[in-house]
Amino acid sequence: MSGASLLRLEGVSKTYRGGTRPAVDNLSLEVRAGEIFGFLGPNGAGKTTTIKMVVGLLRADRGTILVNGHDVARDPVAAKADIGYVPDNPDLYERLTGIEYLNLVADIFGVSREERRRRIGELLEMFELESAVADIIQSYSHGMKQKLALTGALLHDPRVFILDEPMVGLDPRASRLFKDMMRSHCDKGHTVFFSTHVLEVAERLCDRVGIINMGRLIACGSVEELRERRKQTDETLEDIFLELTEAGEAK
Amino acid sequence: MARRVLSLILAQLNMNFAISHSRYYYLKKRQRLWEPVLIVLGVGGAAASLAVGIYTAASYYYSTAAAIGQEAVTLTLGILLSQVLVMILGFVLVIAVFYFSNDLAILIPLPLRPAEVLAGKFAVILASEYVGLVVFVLPVIIAYGVRADVSAVPYVLSSILVFLALPVVPLVLAAIPAILLMRVAGLSRRKDTLAMIGGFLFIGVIVVFQFFVQTKAPGVGEEAEFLAKMLATANSLVYIVGARLPPSIWATKALALAGTWQGLWNLGIFLVAGVLGFVVLLVIGDRVFYQGVLSGFEAGARKGAARRAGKAKAAGYVSRSPIASLAIIEMKLFTRTPVFVLNGFTGFVMFPVMFVAMFLMRGNPEMARLWDVLLAVPAFDAIGALVIAAYFFVLAAMSSIPFTAFSREGRRNIWIPRSFPASAKTIALGKAVGAEIMVALGAIPGIAVLGYVARLPLASVAVGVVFGVMSSFVLNLCGVLFDMWRPMLNWTDQQKAVKSNLNVVVGMLMGVAVLAVLGLAVNFLINLGLPAWGVVAGVGGVLAALLAALVALLGAVADRLWSGLEA
Repeated sequence: MSGASLLRLEGVSKTYRGGTRPAVDNLSLEVRAGEIFGFLGPNGAGKTTTIKMVVGLLRADRGTILVNGHDVARDPVAAKADIGYVPDNPDLYERLTGIEYLNLVADIFGVSREERRRRIGELLEMFELESAVADIIQSYSHGMKQKLALTGALLHDPRVFILDEPMVGLDPRASRLFKDMMRSHCDKGHTVFFSTHVLEVAERLCDRVGIINMGRLIACGSVEELRERRKQTDETLEDIFLELTEAGEAK
Repeated sequence: MARRVLSLILAQLNMNFAISHSRYYYLKKRQRLWEPVLIVLGVGGAAASLAVGIYTAASYYYSTAAAIGQEAVTLTLGILLSQVLVMILGFVLVIAVFYFSNDLAILIPLPLRPAEVLAGKFAVILASEYVGLVVFVLPVIIAYGVRADVSAVPYVLSSILVFLALPVVPLVLAAIPAILLMRVAGLSRRKDTLAMIGGFLFIGVIVVFQFFVQTKAPGVGEEAEFLAKMLATANSLVYIVGARLPPSIWATKALALAGTWQGLWNLGIFLVAGVLGFVVLLVIGDRVFYQGVLSGFEAGARKGAARRAGKAKAAGYVSRSPIASLAIIEMKLFTRTPVFVLNGFTGFVMFPVMFVAMFLMRGNPEMARLWDVLLAVPAFDAIGALVIAAYFFVLAAMSSIPFTAFSREGRRNIWIPRSFPASAKTIALGKAVGAEIMVALGAIPGIAVLGYVARLPLASVAVGVVFGVMSSFVLNLCGVLFDMWRPMLNWTDQQKAVKSNLNVVVGMLMGVAVLAVLGLAVNFLINLGLPAWGVVAGVGGVLAALLAALVALLGAVADRLWSGLEA
């Protein structure tokens, strides 16, 4: 790890009201500039809760979350200005057209007219949405909504790009383009933090991964580092994931 | 078939009244237990006091009517008014629940006939109407039963049956044009616009009908004289009403003559009318219901295809301030959602229609007298300015727009504004400005009619508009702040976000509170001996102070409320 810290979680915990156990328990991790970080875990492990706390949709009960040095709890506006976020199910304003939605996002993130024209043009071309951008979002397929949400999240060239299950709904071509785009985004000194269940993608794409189970971070590092720690050089990320999470559940 | 329809109805009722949801959170998880307590105490208390008020009024009315042997008119009026109310609200509810429910995409692929799905949806609306009728019509039936010389057992049995059948006919009368309208609208690419226009036309027709019926009653005069005249012509009123809504007469006779063959006959006709109406609705619905729903699913795709065929260059890049951008999006989202428009803009349409009807009836001697009295009021131009300001305020209170500003986002979309790097104050102001523009534009037709009819000088109208914008913005800010604090995000269809939202009731109560403050201010200023325009200026000062206080409050609490909203 060499770049500046763009995302840092220190002792973050969250228990839902009425919940019997913490959804996220004393989670600490750091993501640096230039890194693609994969956040892995079984269903209900706490991935989405963690992401929602980072983007300000949920409040952490304890701990600190810093986005590019801004405390999400104390300075949410500055923190959010550095984030581009796409949720797991990108429900957008169905009665707006694509361009109306993108203009709203650009206005709020303060993207200048010239800059938005350039960025929107590039992104729409990449996701092949140009011909649909004047249509009402209600008429989009799931994949098109996903692409529009990604376009909106990338409009302001965010330092920290956060995605919850980004590959769901993307066709193979868009998925490939998107993965290339994630890499080029990090090459500019930004960072990508995403959750996924597709372990092959994580293994191929991520500089580092974190595995969370029952709210606790049970492993963190590059896939190579994880293999070395377990002294099993021929293991795939899937093998590591299954063994670690099953062991955690057995406890 | 009966079993699966019953199962569908039970599931629909469960979702509509959040029965399993409440059981899970309140009984199993024991979360936010203060909510049901508050609802029972607040809404239950308000409903109970309203019911007691209606009971008392009905008893008083009965006493006066009984003096000239016209006591049954108590029942007729109660039943008629409730049926007109059911018809107006029912039309909007039918469009919302039949055509804009989130679960239609789940229900349509099921092996159910359109009539079965329609029956399930109809049951939901019927159940919602019963809740209102318990407060509005049950006290009238009880008051009559207590006061009149009726046999207890037949009266109670007839009352139960009449109560259960009461909303069926008006709902059928609202539902049939609604599903036909949606079928026709579905043929057009502008389906939503047509649905909204059709909805307002229906409401306008009902308002004019109601106004026409009311103006057949005797005019304003001394209370006793008025009542005597009213009761003396009660039969003609009943006749007019009966000619248009005979079920209200059958229901009246079923109750007033309970225990007699005539009562039983009328009860039979009333129940058969309900059943027949429902069957007719199912038969029509089975043929056209799905066509209207499915055309809704297709509309977006067709439009998309047309655009993709070569009209995509319309996309524009427009740069605005965050508040302006949020306000414009708030307006677009509201005005493009028929359910929101039909609920929120009803006042914008209803009042001008009423004003025009009043103007057209000026030839009527009683109405002419009323106009003469109004126009002879001293300092009418200054009072007119205040009336216009109050009109804005009432529209804002009735519109539900500010008090559902965040609720309308729902669980699905609230992540969008929550992830914006904008202060809570900016987001709240954007929503409040959007609401204000809608209210101000919605007020224009009514003000134009009022200004013309009352021959108000332009200065009065201008001052009224300025104060109106200030007064409605006070309420809009209150509403947005309150909804930011306690938004109702868990809804299954858009109708619930605006209709079953307690924040709307709170909004009306806040409206009453602000009006009380303004009323006290006016009273104080008059007692100071200020001239009429001095009082108006004083009201402007109070409004400016209220606005300043609210903006300060927004700055002080909005960030805390916004960060506390977990999604």
